[in-house]
Amino acid sequence: MKALQWQGVNKLAVGTVPDPELRNPGDIIVKVARTVTCGSDLHLIGGYIPFMEKGDVLGHEFLGEVVEVGPDVKRHRVGDRVVVSSFIACGSCWYCDQQLFSLCDNGNTNPAITETLWGQAPGGCFGYSHAMGGNAGSHAEFIRVPFADVGAFTVPDGVSDERALFASDSAATGWMGADLGGVKPGDVVAVWGAGAVGQMAARAAALLGADRVIVIDRLDNRLDQAAKYAGAETLNYERTDVAGELRERSGGRGPDVCIEAVGMEAHSPGAHFAYDQIKQQLRLQTDRPIAVREAIHACRKGGSVFVLGVYAGFVDKFPLGALMNKGLTVRGAQMHGQRYIPMLLERMAKDELVTEHLATHVMPLDQGPEGYRIFKEKDDNCVRAVFVP
Amino acid sequence: MGRTVKALLVIAPIAAVVALIATRKPSPRRTHVVTVNRPLSEVPPRLRELADSVEITLSDAPGDRGTEISVRVPDGSPVSEGEVRRALRETRSLVEVGDVLLPSRPTTEKTLANRPLRKVTEHGREGGLL
Repeated sequence: MKALQWQGVNKLAVGTVPDPELRNPGDIIVKVARTVTCGSDLHLIGGYIPFMEKGDVLGHEFLGEVVEVGPDVKRHRVGDRVVVSSFIACGSCWYCDQQLFSLCDNGNTNPAITETLWGQAPGGCFGYSHAMGGNAGSHAEFIRVPFADVGAFTVPDGVSDERALFASDSAATGWMGADLGGVKPGDVVAVWGAGAVGQMAARAAALLGADRVIVIDRLDNRLDQAAKYAGAETLNYERTDVAGELRERSGGRGPDVCIEAVGMEAHSPGAHFAYDQIKQQLRLQTDRPIAVREAIHACRKGGSVFVLGVYAGFVDKFPLGALMNKGLTVRGAQMHGQRYIPMLLERMAKDELVTEHLATHVMPLDQGPEGYRIFKEKDDNCVRAVFVP
Repeated sequence: MGRTVKALLVIAPIAAVVALIATRKPSPRRTHVVTVNRPLSEVPPRLRELADSVEITLSDAPGDRGTEISVRVPDGSPVSEGEVRRALRETRSLVEVGDVLLPSRPTTEKTLANRPLRKVTEHGREGGLL
């Protein structure tokens, strides 16, 4: 079958790989209808998460049709239209019982790397390096989905492919940031990053009752989307004193909840960007934590900071003093999709959550390398490139 | 940035992890423990293939977290630490799920750059800290 493969740092190509097959009785095979680029893929493509092999198939956010079902699968039949959580979870371990699905004990076939790096291993993920299990990704004609009764969800008839696609990861990730960040009615919420995940976090915060939601980015087209579809106020950090604005718009207190949806390749107009960039390129730190630092500084005393952006290892100049002395709660996670996807699909069916605008560029899988170029360089106001295999 | 420098920047962190894994020496008589999300009464005696060569203890985990399975490798046992880690992980999955997740069919090719990574992933369930 055809698939978009990582061929080396900043090298992608569409090639031919073996068709996936059922390997465990709880597996299904899905014919991919839509699969989408994610900002976190850029960390893999650029070599920032150095656990890729030449030929790995990228992609973790997708939707499609069930074409084959393992003997133990009870919830799905051939022909079902399903959206699949990007993280693979067994549904039976203690972490799954706690609804912390991305921390599943049994979903990563290769726990040694992350256990060594981080102390314990999170679960597995589609198309997200051998540190996350080396599972073939969704930028392909077909994909194997393990633990399908837990991680694949039938899409209601009234929800289009274009909308449901983003329940797979972006919407679930954004919702998790607002939910586990503790957003309550009346809160002021600040979101760093107006990409798909940031916009979904902002929309979730509004639906959870936040009084004000403020989204920060440098790209006006994305900020315009956040204003239009999430009802958020916006700040362009290249033209605004973000910290001052946030203080002013929160009665001098600082936002109650700060959600970081940027990740390890953050940009900034200041000198600290050059500092972080040089240190990252020399591998003296693995990530550029610019947005996390800002969120911690901006957050009100006793407030909450949730880190949704993907980070790999170690960072420099982490404001531990602010965290400790202001009594902050800092939390992060890969997304617990299985916890949120059914609710998200219901909200999508009721038009409370719309996502189609995120798919600014839809193209055949054959154009995958070009799609990632457009996405990475934000050409033509690209928010997300969606591939149709 | 030259290709050689770029390649080094990719390979160096992998090599560092491989070195970390390879040089991590478990303390002698170390006990390996996993917690299985099932009550003691539901945990059958597994680890059969190792049972004659290691000491296995089952006990209730605190806070309704299930059962702790401890394995100690005695001096002179032919069983390696890696075999114990793999057996514990597979046992946990068998008890909790009834199955052990198998990896996807590979779509990759062997290169000089990914040789260190393959060295680690060939024994993915045997490494780590467990």
